[in-house]
Amino acid sequence: MKFGAAKGTSPKPSPKDQPSSQIRHSSGFEQFCSLLQSSESLSILDMTGASQANISFITGFGHRLSSDDIVGTMQQSFGSDFFESQQAASTAQRFLEQTLTFPDEFFDGALVWDALQFLASPVLEEAVKQLLRVMRPGGLMLAFFNADEKATRIPIYNYRIQDSKTLLQVPRGGSQKAQHFNNRSLEKLFERSSSLKFFLTRDSLREVIVRK
Amino acid sequence: MWSKRKEDELPQRPERPAPVPAPSAPAVEPQRREINTMSSPTRTFEPEPVRGGSAALGKNVTVKGQIFAREDLTIDGEVEGTVECHEHRLTIGPNARVQAGLKAREIIIQGSIQGNVDATDKIDIKKEAKLVGDIKTSRIVIEDGAYFKGSIDISKATTAAKPQAASPAVATPSASPNTSAATPAATGSR
Repeated sequence: MKFGAAKGTSPKPSPKDQPSSQIRHSSGFEQFCSLLQSSESLSILDMTGASQANISFITGFGHRLSSDDIVGTMQQSFGSDFFESQQAASTAQRFLEQTLTFPDEFFDGALVWDALQFLASPVLEEAVKQLLRVMRPGGLMLAFFNADEKATRIPIYNYRIQDSKTLLQVPRGGSQKAQHFNNRSLEKLFERSSSLKFFLTRDSLREVIVRK
Repeated sequence: MWSKRKEDELPQRPERPAPVPAPSAPAVEPQRREINTMSSPTRTFEPEPVRGGSAALGKNVTVKGQIFAREDLTIDGEVEGTVECHEHRLTIGPNARVQAGLKAREIIIQGSIQGNVDATDKIDIKKEAKLVGDIKTSRIVIEDGAYFKGSIDISKATTAAKPQAASPAVATPSASPNTSAATPAATGSR
């Protein structure tokens, strides 16, 4: 830590410090793929930006894919520093009106990726409530959460599916302040779900499968 | 025999195109004039010349209602209603703002669309495009950077084999950022 740096804040990384794309083995996604292989014509929600890789992979199983870029909506609703701008009730309401505007019990599976960690209370709890609303009973959600207590800012990634075990993390540009989660806080966040399954990872990204 | 040959030749004459003043001029010359009128100083857009004729709505044109086209159509202005170009290509230019349901054989999107899109053959969404609505098509190509919010239904082509789950050919296209994806999806073929 530099002398004089304020606690809880860190300078924004320069473009040279931006992370590069990286391949990630994901046991959570491997588990999620068992849902994709179990039957045809499922409705799957992808909450990262639309990409050829994800569209090809999901529709290749014969499923219907819906795309909703939740991080993009955060940027539109709250501005560039969106984690710290979520306390205003009017902007929070605008975000919630634009996100997850799907009918009840519409999806069999949802790829939430790491989007939820960039939401602060009470928007986070409301977004989880909406997520569970649009999921069918028994439906699966795959979500990633930062577990590094020391990290003050986290790079924003888009997730591109490579195969049933591998993801490509593509930097979206910039970083954001984010919450960190442990197993207990995740259990509390998803207390309305029927089950949670945690996956051990070598890095600080916690993978969770949530079953409604 | 001799007289019959002459009869065979005669009916072909009316089918020839109307006499052109400058025979050396290319056949797509009238289209070029249209394209030039809709090009802007800031954003230039030149759709590919299409054989068999095409129509264009320039960037300063606003249409409210139903559009039916029996030839390829390019829209670079504002449209509200429905657009149908069955068996033909529909191009939504970079300046276009469309609030309409679209139906065509092939749809290329560069501008902004709010509405459902139905292409019997292929949809090509360019990186500068913004699409809010549901897609129904046989094949889709989407470039990184394109904004899309909605659902995608891939209707299986009659000739296409059933896609293999987790097939590398299907799952691996365009993984790198800022790289346009050129691989058709969900048909199991490159």
